[in-house]
Amino acid sequence: MHFLDRRVLLISGKGGVGRTTVTVALARAAARAGKRTLVCEIANPEGGPSAIGRLLGLDGVGPEPVAVGPRLDACHLWARTGHARFLQSVLPGKALVRAALRSRAVDKFLTAAPSFHEMGLFYHLLTLLRAERDGRRRHELIVLDMPATGHTLALTGLPEILLRLMPTGPIAAALREGQAVLNDPDQGAAWVVTLPEQLPVTEAIELLAGLSETEMPAGGVLLNRMPPDPFTPAERAALDGWIEGRQVFGEVAFRRIEAAAEARARLEDRVEVPVLTLPELGDEPVPGLVGALANYMAVDGGGR
Amino acid sequence: MTGPVARMLEEKRVVVCCGAGGVGKTTVSASLAIAAARAGRRVLVVTIDPSKRLAETLGVERNPPEPVPLPAERLAAAGIVEGTLAAWMLDPKLVSDRVVENFARSPEDARRLLDNRMYRNITAMIAGLQEYTAVEALHGFVMEDVYDLVILDTPPSRDALRFLDAPDRVAMFLDRRIFNLFVPGEGSAIRRMATRLIEKVMDVAFGEQTRRDLQQFFDLFGGVLDHLNHNQHEMRAFFKQPDIGFLLVTSPAREALAEAGFFARKTRDELKMHLCGYVLNRSLAAQAGYAMPDPAALPDDADPALRSGLSTLAGLARVEQQKVAEHLALAADLETRAGDGFAWVLPMLGGGAGDLADLVHLADVLVAERPPGHPDSEETP
Ligand SMILES: Nc1ncnc2c1ncn2[C@@H]1O[C@H](COP(=O)(O)OP(=O)(O)OP(=O)(O)O)[C@@H](O)[C@H]1O
Ligand SMILES: Nc1ncnc2c1ncn2[C@@H]1O[C@H](COP(=O)(O)OP(=O)(O)OP(=O)(O)O)[C@@H](O)[C@H]1O
Ligand SMILES: [Mg+2]
Ligand SMILES: [Mg+2]
Repeated sequence: MHFLDRRVLLISGKGGVGRTTVTVALARAAARAGKRTLVCEIANPEGGPSAIGRLLGLDGVGPEPVAVGPRLDACHLWARTGHARFLQSVLPGKALVRAALRSRAVDKFLTAAPSFHEMGLFYHLLTLLRAERDGRRRHELIVLDMPATGHTLALTGLPEILLRLMPTGPIAAALREGQAVLNDPDQGAAWVVTLPEQLPVTEAIELLAGLSETEMPAGGVLLNRMPPDPFTPAERAALDGWIEGRQVFGEVAFRRIEAAAEARARLEDRVEVPVLTLPELGDEPVPGLVGALANYMAVDGGGR
Repeated sequence: MTGPVARMLEEKRVVVCCGAGGVGKTTVSASLAIAAARAGRRVLVVTIDPSKRLAETLGVERNPPEPVPLPAERLAAAGIVEGTLAAWMLDPKLVSDRVVENFARSPEDARRLLDNRMYRNITAMIAGLQEYTAVEALHGFVMEDVYDLVILDTPPSRDALRFLDAPDRVAMFLDRRIFNLFVPGEGSAIRRMATRLIEKVMDVAFGEQTRRDLQQFFDLFGGVLDHLNHNQHEMRAFFKQPDIGFLLVTSPAREALAEAGFFARKTRDELKMHLCGYVLNRSLAAQAGYAMPDPAALPDDADPALRSGLSTLAGLARVEQQKVAEHLALAADLETRAGDGFAWVLPMLGGGAGDLADLVHLADVLVAERPPGHPDSEETP
């Protein structure tokens, strides 16, 4: 099965490794390969600029998907949208729905009570998964830019945690519905973005180990910013001794290539999931990464 | 130790390292701690970063209940003779349990809260609580006077701001009024109506059991919250003390620099905290004065692989030379922005900064008289 043949991909990883860039590139590549794709990011409750919006050239991103290219839509996940949609679907009688949605107390409660924020995000995602248009699924694939690691595990394990907290009532049914998609290896996968350096690789290995303790299936590792290696093995061996202590430009780049190859070898050795390597690119990495990802799809036979 | 970073380590009681994700806050925190301990101070380095790398490099346990002294063998390896160095990786769950134990209304309340299903599953989700408790712990260390210097590593800066704002934020997210709304049977008629509406919505949508657990949670947690609110002002004042310094770590990347600027405005101008300066990490500025590799300069009988290798290297070298110039300009710009503070350059280590020797090397660079690559530096490489 091709790695893009899923309903949802959660893109996680440490701060600054390129999660957002890779998320947008993946979504672009999927759309280019013919999939109706939605790229999502979790709205910062305090507002502030949208990272995917910046990469897609959008002024603002809201909770409703908007078209950003052929077969590609973008939106934010908003807890408040999830809360409103959930209450609309479960509360009996219009009067109660209206009272609940209008009540400042209810709104404040849902915003502030622990775990209800996450529940709202999750429900919003669920409504996006359910959405249909012209008698078919509105989006075949949703690619979600996750918050930096630390919170990632909490989010990938979210349906489980929420179910433990809210084991009964309609919310439990909704959580199970979402869980059935996310936790089904044919439909959902979490990918870990990391860098070809020693510690980031260690952390990716740990993150995958943590992931395997949740119900969320691991898709693989996206090893981002791999420096291209222009040297033959003989050249590398010769340079290795020559460059030591010589204080020439290019030394850092040379050492980095060596360290990256080591880090990648260790990663491939230690994880059982696929490792996709994405190259280090110049100033505007997204178009280049789309190309690189498109190559993977071609190499894998496109999977479709 | 002579330079401005060295002085900061001598004069401050707390140094907080802030910056964007992945710029090297944890690395710089550890290097600063090593530098100060080498200079004879009793140092504690605290991280509220969920990652474990610092623990591994320093050879201490992860998530221990208390700070852990570095094993003697690591101290020796780091050249720490007179000073001491302890590290503490805060485990969020443990820290919040401790707050509950200390500040619940009674031991009985504390026990019930620790057993509450809601509490057990969601402490990590309560925005601001972790950061707040870290600040409490920090405050405690400073008061106890066990350490001369505490270095605090923070999560990426959006969260680090959260950390600075923690007292307010805990107050916002755990607003006492919301607690009250949810504790039935009290207050005005309007409030009782609001409470009944929430109860009804809760029972239908989330189940009665969930509602009961939450009510118990809110009720018990109220006692803890009262304490936290009470301490807010003290904490605010604490961070404004002149012997608590903030250090902005950045990399040469555009986004990281922008975040550092944002953070500087926030800490210095808005919150009136003491900004010591910038660290420009992963910089190539230290290579000012390096030479271009030149295959033509090789002797005639040189290894042909070396010769072709060098001509390939020349391509990479030109790019690197260009970057060196850019980084030098950046360092100069940061120095201007720092005003009275410093802008310190740390070199990009080609193999990453993964082991203790790397940290010690960076520690030496930090406490030198001048940053590497600086125009006034006597010994350009
Ligand atoms: N393959 C690549 N080649 C070159 N630059 C890259 C590559 N991938 C990402 N970058 C650059 O790295 C920086 C960080 O990328 P990005 O914002 O996607 O990371 P992130 O993990 O989402 O960060 P954050 O944790 O702040 O959300 C950006 O400047 C981006 O352009
Ligand atoms: N001067 C340096 N030269 C080379 N590599 C470095 C340097 N400083 C840090 N690194 C490497 O960069 C990576 C990120 O560093 P570090 O973990 O210290 O950043 P951080 O700001 O604490 O990250 P986070 O925001 O995720 O907590 C690590 O792999 C580290 O080894
Ligand atoms: Mg991002
Ligand atoms: Mg860190």
